[in-house]
Amino acid sequence: MVDDVLVIGGGVAGIQASIDLAGRGLKVYLVERFPSIGGKMAQLDKTFPTGDCSICILAPKMMECFSHENIDVLTHAEVKGVSGNAGDFRVKILKKPRYVDEEKCTGCGDCVSACPYINLPDEFDMALRSRGNIFIPFLQAVPRVVMVDREHCVKCGNCQVICDAGAIDLYQKPEEIEIHVGAIIVACGFDSFDPSGIKEYGYGRYKNVITALEYERLVCASGPTGGHLDRPSDKKTPNSIAFIQCVGSRDVNHNPYCSSVCCMHATKEAILAKEHYPSMENYIFYTDMRAFGKGFQEYVDRAKNEYEVRYIRSKPGEITEDKETKNPVIWYDDTVTRQVKRLEVGLVVLCTALVPSKGIKELADVLGVELDKNRFFKIADPLYAPLDSSREGILVCGYCQGPKDIPEAVTQAKGAAARAAEVLACLGA
Amino acid sequence: MEEKEIRIGVFICHCGTNIGGSVDVPAVVEYAKHLPNVVHAERNLYTCADDGLTAIKNAIKQHKLNRVIVASCTPRTHEPLFRSTCEEAGLNKYLFEFVNIREHCSWVHMKDTEGATEKTKELVRMGVARATLLEPQEEMKIDVEQSAMVIGGGIAGITAAKTLANQGFDVYLVEKEAVLGGMLRNLYRLFPTGEDSLDSLQPSIAAVEGHEKIKVFSSCELKEVKGYIGNFDVTLLREGKEVNFKVGTIIVATGAMEFEPKGHYGYGKYDHVITQMQLEKLLKDGQLKKSDSVVMIQCVGAKGEEVSYCSRICCMVAIKNAMLIKEINPDADIHILHNDIQAYGAEYEELYNKAREMGIRFIKYTPESPPCVTMDGEKLKVEVYNELFGEQFMLGTDLVVLSTPLVQHQGGVEISKLLRVPLGKDKFFFEAHVKLRPVDFATDGIFLCGTAHGPAEVAESVSQALAAASGAGIPLSRGFVQIEAISVKVDLEACIGCGFCVEMCPYQALDMVDGKLEIIEALCKGCGTCVATCPTGALEQRHYQNNQIISQIKSIFHPVIE
Amino acid sequence: MKEFDPKIVAFCCNWCSYAGADLAGVSRMQYPPNVRIIKVMCSGRIDPLFVLMSFLEGADAVLVTGCHIGDCHYIDANHKTKNRFEFLKEMIAELGIGEERLRLEWISATEGEKFADMVKETVEKIKKMGPSPLSPKVMQ
Repeated sequence: MVDDVLVIGGGVAGIQASIDLAGRGLKVYLVERFPSIGGKMAQLDKTFPTGDCSICILAPKMMECFSHENIDVLTHAEVKGVSGNAGDFRVKILKKPRYVDEEKCTGCGDCVSACPYINLPDEFDMALRSRGNIFIPFLQAVPRVVMVDREHCVKCGNCQVICDAGAIDLYQKPEEIEIHVGAIIVACGFDSFDPSGIKEYGYGRYKNVITALEYERLVCASGPTGGHLDRPSDKKTPNSIAFIQCVGSRDVNHNPYCSSVCCMHATKEAILAKEHYPSMENYIFYTDMRAFGKGFQEYVDRAKNEYEVRYIRSKPGEITEDKETKNPVIWYDDTVTRQVKRLEVGLVVLCTALVPSKGIKELADVLGVELDKNRFFKIADPLYAPLDSSREGILVCGYCQGPKDIPEAVTQAKGAAARAAEVLACLGA
Repeated sequence: MEEKEIRIGVFICHCGTNIGGSVDVPAVVEYAKHLPNVVHAERNLYTCADDGLTAIKNAIKQHKLNRVIVASCTPRTHEPLFRSTCEEAGLNKYLFEFVNIREHCSWVHMKDTEGATEKTKELVRMGVARATLLEPQEEMKIDVEQSAMVIGGGIAGITAAKTLANQGFDVYLVEKEAVLGGMLRNLYRLFPTGEDSLDSLQPSIAAVEGHEKIKVFSSCELKEVKGYIGNFDVTLLREGKEVNFKVGTIIVATGAMEFEPKGHYGYGKYDHVITQMQLEKLLKDGQLKKSDSVVMIQCVGAKGEEVSYCSRICCMVAIKNAMLIKEINPDADIHILHNDIQAYGAEYEELYNKAREMGIRFIKYTPESPPCVTMDGEKLKVEVYNELFGEQFMLGTDLVVLSTPLVQHQGGVEISKLLRVPLGKDKFFFEAHVKLRPVDFATDGIFLCGTAHGPAEVAESVSQALAAASGAGIPLSRGFVQIEAISVKVDLEACIGCGFCVEMCPYQALDMVDGKLEIIEALCKGCGTCVATCPTGALEQRHYQNNQIISQIKSIFHPVIE
Repeated sequence: MKEFDPKIVAFCCNWCSYAGADLAGVSRMQYPPNVRIIKVMCSGRIDPLFVLMSFLEGADAVLVTGCHIGDCHYIDANHKTKNRFEFLKEMIAELGIGEERLRLEWISATEGEKFADMVKETVEKIKKMGPSPLSPKVMQ
């Protein structure tokens, strides 16, 4: 019986669970698939309903987690095998090569500017910016260590020449690590639904139809445009924006469930646009306005009254494009006048469904736990054990077990940490 | 005191555009460079990011800094991070000074760049004045009592108590009613399991009542809580007698109550206008008369003047109860009049769809033209404007059920006063940070969960209870807490023994022994009230010294530029 | 002539009024940039000397703020603040500074709006009243 804990996923939930466990004196391994911890919250500009800068409140937690003496953070790594039982799990972790020695790299970034190839889409900035073959995942990345995209690297060696620390190792091998833990917490988050399949909205065909996550990067000061709302077609600020809710959510053809956070993040994004550009006209097309959290309804009221955001209860049927201006044109049923109307705007933001993260099925198989019909992790008892998976000793928290917002994910993460400690204490007794 | 050259480093944060958008940061950096004792000044896009922190550490070494100032957001969230960064670079954390130029400047002067920039310069100047006089401090470690108190014996309190007890800590569970269970005792069947509410709760109640680590104090009232994290002294009243014990941490799980819709839709006037809670009771007792038609009205008293918020759970309660009525009477004609259905998440949306398939009808009304309930002979009559059809609907009905929000109760308000923890505008308990500290209070050692925090369903309350138990369990597991070095000290040579300070102290941390002042440091919480009273200046508060505050005041009016 | 731009010193306690000022920022409530906040742990720490010193140095107004009575983080330390304030008010009046220039306000962590309103009102009032008689602008 061991009381070390494995946490899978380094978003805000995984970070919080790790910090809580480590605070109790337990040893934690935090495994993150991407080269930095931070997850989706790191990509957001502001958070609703307080307008807190997302990375500003998250960065201290990322640092606290990474520098905690009881936490081993393994980035760019995946869980490959789990055997044993609660109190005694053997876990195989594959640490993928980043072709850089994490200990030696100082994150100075000299190599980044030395790389002659800078035409790859930057994942963190939603491909709105290019990056080189060697790159730092994002400005506030933790650890602040570069990594090499070997798939595209031509091994010119420029980066190696410029690196004073001698940190670059283009022949680094994958490493398999085996750890022994008593409990596992899964917090592997979500992905944004790809709306290209919803042909009538023209995502991918019309440049000025973007997703909400892309919008977050556009308005973020540390994003690709330095916070200027430059629409993709002409890099100009639009005069009006329409946000469309339930794109791929509450839709039997795609995801029948409600993604829970989109009504609020659209409201926030509209407020941000108005704050940046006081003359901006904002429209939100919604099905039901779901403002059910603390201070949410008041936030929506403020958006309506102070920020002049226009809420239209309708699900647009189609979006077309004005060939000359590249303005998207929204065709919708006006539920008040019961007429088909058109609305031409400068930019359309699709508030897409948030879906279980890529690879959740494989992870569930490795862990030996079940998924529910929406492919979120299945809960043992939906009332009284909302954080226990179908297997003892494995807890699930955050969006990977069902739609929720940041405070709910943080709450569940802390709860999962307490449950893990409880499970371990009971097994030890 | 040793005379050492003061070397201050100033780091000014752009915070993306949060500060940089309305403050001319480069100008402030230039200004800071010329302030006395400042040997280094720089700006960062985000000082709190890894590269910003590295810059601080490097500058401490490179410029031999012995004071560090960060001008960015509020110390209430970021001070611990910068303090530990200083410590990592070998600088005592009390030599760090925080200047708030975001919450107190750039965010409140968004349209006045000139004014905001000038103010920022002055705020930095004040920071430099204070930093110059800062002194290093050592923190005291205090042992933590290995027990917790949970206030409230509903599902949240029960869960929190059980989790902590299973981890080996002693728990005192305090409930004002005679029995445990709280609001769930009054409900009929629960979604999504369909279990009887009380039956499903019984195993948890039994586990808590039979737990060797848990002492249940039912029919008890909290009288007084003194002390601080690690050492709270609790006094309860049980049958008029006082019970005393000590705990290390406290969890507030005092619940909420249903809003009484007096004067709404004929409630209190017509017999067949009831609330969802009353409907639950009728269903539970098998007393619901055969109702061929039922109308439920959502958001009664909510999302409006009485209660501004959406109560989160009422839509699903209404749908669940409508389906239960359908089970009893499949032919019942049920309408739910709503102002947007809150079927968030996966399971609720599914339930909502199922309800529609069962023939339960949903009509969206607008708050501008709410439904109207009147009596038409023996029957109730509900008129509602259907937005979707653009028509006035007339529904004759046997029963009108009003869905009303959960609200804070008087007991909660009293607990808030007793523990000195705040309530928000919505009257629910107000957490330390809406996003990242959802179950903590700003006061160390006190935590929050369940509907005391705001409307929540069972699973959400349970998750919050587990989260609160995590927070409350951390200091207990560690066994100690470190106390901020802001306690008072006395210069006995200057003390004339007047004793004014002894009366001032809210914690009895000061005592006059044989005409000499003694300070019990572990009891001092650092309010500094005694210091403000001392006629001779013999008392001094660590980190909030008189000379530090006075130099801050002076620096506002004296633009000293070298 | 340049418009009179008052300087106002506000003493805030760590737990309530400072947090209230933070909330005003978080809520983006706009107020004029005339106030300088000095943070203490408790309003009970505010030595009358600090207030007098502020006026002597040239403050046009001083705001003493803390938790509401009954909400003090230090049991009842703000009762002492209240008592001292009464005394200070008399003294300020006697010195001819004008007691309207000293204001006591209880502001909770959730009252961002109250903080912003207090600043707005005070700036407006002091602008009408003109500089403090002790201000260097007047003394010269």
